[in-house]
Amino acid sequence: MRRRKPLGELFAGATGLALTLGIAFAIAVLLIFTLSRRPMNTIYYFFVGPFTNKYYFGNMLNTSIPLVFTGLGIAVAFKSSVFNLGGEGQVYSGALVGTAICLALPAAGGYLGGAAALAGALATGAVLAGLSGFFRMKWGTDELISSFLISAAVIFIVNYFITGPLDDPGNNLLATRAIGEQYRLLGIFPPSKLDVSAVFSLLAAGLVFFLMYYTHWGYEMRMCGLNREFSRYGGINVSAYIVLPMILSGALHGLAGGVAILGTYHMAVKEFSGGMGWNGIAVALIAKNHPLGVVPAAVFFAYLDAGAKAAMLHSDVTFEIAAVVQSVIFYLVTAQALYSAVRRRAGAPA
Amino acid sequence: MPYLDMQGITRLYPENGVLANDHVDFSVERNEIHAVVGENGAGKTTLMKILYGLERPDEGRILLDGREADLHSPLDAHRLGIGMVHQHFRLIPEFTIAENVVLGVEPRRRGVFFDREGAVSDVRAVIEEYGFTIDPGLRVSRLTVGQMQLVEIIKILYRRADLLILDEPTSVLTEQQIHKLFDTLRSLRDIGKTIIIITHKLGEVKAISQRVTVMRKGQVVAVRDTAAVDERELSRLMVGKSVSFAFEREPVPRGRAVLELQGVVLLQKGQDHPLLDHVDLSVHAGEIVGVAGVSGNGLAELEDVVTGLRRVSEGRILHDGRDITRLDARHLRRHGLAYVPADRLHRGSSLQSSVMENMIIAAHHDFLKGGVFRRQEVEDFARRLKEGFSIDGDPRVPIGTLSGGNIQKVILSRELASKTDFIIFSEPTWGLDVASSEFIYSRILEIRKEGNAVLLISSNLDEIMGLADTLVVMYRGRVVARLENGPGVSKELVGEYMLGLRDDFEGEPR
Repeated sequence: MRRRKPLGELFAGATGLALTLGIAFAIAVLLIFTLSRRPMNTIYYFFVGPFTNKYYFGNMLNTSIPLVFTGLGIAVAFKSSVFNLGGEGQVYSGALVGTAICLALPAAGGYLGGAAALAGALATGAVLAGLSGFFRMKWGTDELISSFLISAAVIFIVNYFITGPLDDPGNNLLATRAIGEQYRLLGIFPPSKLDVSAVFSLLAAGLVFFLMYYTHWGYEMRMCGLNREFSRYGGINVSAYIVLPMILSGALHGLAGGVAILGTYHMAVKEFSGGMGWNGIAVALIAKNHPLGVVPAAVFFAYLDAGAKAAMLHSDVTFEIAAVVQSVIFYLVTAQALYSAVRRRAGAPA
Repeated sequence: MPYLDMQGITRLYPENGVLANDHVDFSVERNEIHAVVGENGAGKTTLMKILYGLERPDEGRILLDGREADLHSPLDAHRLGIGMVHQHFRLIPEFTIAENVVLGVEPRRRGVFFDREGAVSDVRAVIEEYGFTIDPGLRVSRLTVGQMQLVEIIKILYRRADLLILDEPTSVLTEQQIHKLFDTLRSLRDIGKTIIIITHKLGEVKAISQRVTVMRKGQVVAVRDTAAVDERELSRLMVGKSVSFAFEREPVPRGRAVLELQGVVLLQKGQDHPLLDHVDLSVHAGEIVGVAGVSGNGLAELEDVVTGLRRVSEGRILHDGRDITRLDARHLRRHGLAYVPADRLHRGSSLQSSVMENMIIAAHHDFLKGGVFRRQEVEDFARRLKEGFSIDGDPRVPIGTLSGGNIQKVILSRELASKTDFIIFSEPTWGLDVASSEFIYSRILEIRKEGNAVLLISSNLDEIMGLADTLVVMYRGRVVARLENGPGVSKELVGEYMLGLRDDFEGEPR
């Protein structure tokens, strides 16, 4: 619909990102030299560790899968200038509902049951976020605050179900029973946990990209995101585009939770999804809210995580040191993403 | 020797090529109240911004008390004793009067802490010194507009200003508040202050000032002693002689009433007189109705109301006899609303989006197949508009990178492409160069010739007198004149209605 390649947006500023990455890694190396007694060893595992065997590599990619979904969820909302800060609760409750559906269904019907579980997870997230959008449309409640508050409350409700009615007494974890084998997603890269949901996440990124840049809804969403007054003047139903992006954003978050259960965890463990929602915001920021940029951004995020784990396992760094190094890199990269976002806004012709 | 002497001030806005001040000489004596009058865009505000250090002149110099003043920022202006009250108040509603007054020059304790008691007592001292009665501890959000204005004045007095600039200070005030303000200004003059007051209202010029400077199109056209000039003459000086217009309006048979407003009232909280006061208006097929008025008299509100962006408080709006009063812009678009807004940078376009995306905003439903855009058709459409309106630039670039004239052409091309029988133009040529303006005028006349109804809202009298079949003049939210355009209608007459000097119009003349 627009001949200016949407992909071009993605690569604009890639040099800036590369420079920031260089600086970030240099600082990380410096930190490791001061904090570790076997710095070369630590550096090796931190940066190369995730690529040294199939198990690490596959698990790194697996970690990125829910982040692709939550990153897409945030990108959709931010592109439309609505704010969904309830990702945590939406992922977690999506996971619970997905698990509950699997546990409730009769043992037969693997594909259909799995699909039902994912649909349930998706719907849960959509409803939770959609509520905030609806309140905004109806009463002008700030969706940024309400989505956060609803999510914070929902987390406790999910905790209750996991540790109460759905708790598996035969297991020492604070977790539900495991879902049946027939619902579990197929592993594609043994011995790692990577499963077919990797393909789902790529499909989701492609779909969201197509939706945002090639369809009527995407056009209206982006126009509302850039200039609501113009959109209203042009005849777009602007109040619908407060609710719709929230629903879409929530659905993607709920799906992240469902996919994590069916693919990786196979049971809802108390607070297992902590961070997936917030990290989605970071991923979207790095990707500059571009749906296709979300995929490499999520992998990058997962790479930092996997590197820290490998360094902890194979070298003398503690969890705290690994976290410090990880956050230095992460802060610099997000700062760069934020900086260019701010500059774009300030530099926009008035 | 005058107290303030601005010599040969010239300021060109390169963005749109407008020469806002063209070798302006302006002087004020010590201890006088000096009025500056002129139409919108005459250059009054630019001149005052230069004096206040908000803008730099391209040429010219400013002498204050005989010494050359170098004004780079409002801080320099404060240092030289120049203070300004802006048309829109710059107050923080949640703060008290004292906190607002000292903002930026707060009294401090031990260098870092805000001295709240000190602020209150300092501000109280200033209030008493000038004989005002207001409690500095009151929160600004609880004040009336008249009191807020007083706070703005106290703000500059607190900074020890000797020269006070007031930009249209009465536009938001009631009659009593205006009287009170004028009493304040007179007493300030009596104790030695010098005051410059920018205004559109000629009655106020007579009431308050000793001398008056009239500006038109970036130049000073007259400086008079107020006592020696009457309002008619000032009005004539302000609007100038009619310029001959390059276009001929061919006679077009007038058809049915396409757009009708019946007793439309628009109220707003906190305003004591309605923004629109029982406005009756009708636009027929093949007719251009020009609505003239000085800004702040209801033109912007009329624009919002007929385009469905603002709900009326009372009255009805009809399109082809059907009631469209409660429909918003989205539904009106389906009724064929075409509208070129005055605010073309925020309402009329999305600056970061491409020209193409801007072109399809109203018609994008026509390019869909199952919800997906048919690219080729969108591109063909964009190319057609680009060629038809000779728009410079690639349709794929963000519209914000185009010049003002080209942005307006994009908006115009888009609005004219819709299937419609009525179109609303608001300030269609504001800030545009002559060539772009003439292009737009010829298009407006073409639309009329095709038998469409045109509502033209503009504060540019030449434009309205040149294009409109029927002239409607608004003053303080009311229609004060409805005239058939013709040789009998002079610019002076319309100007007098616009400025509220004549109020002899009663109801429908037909």
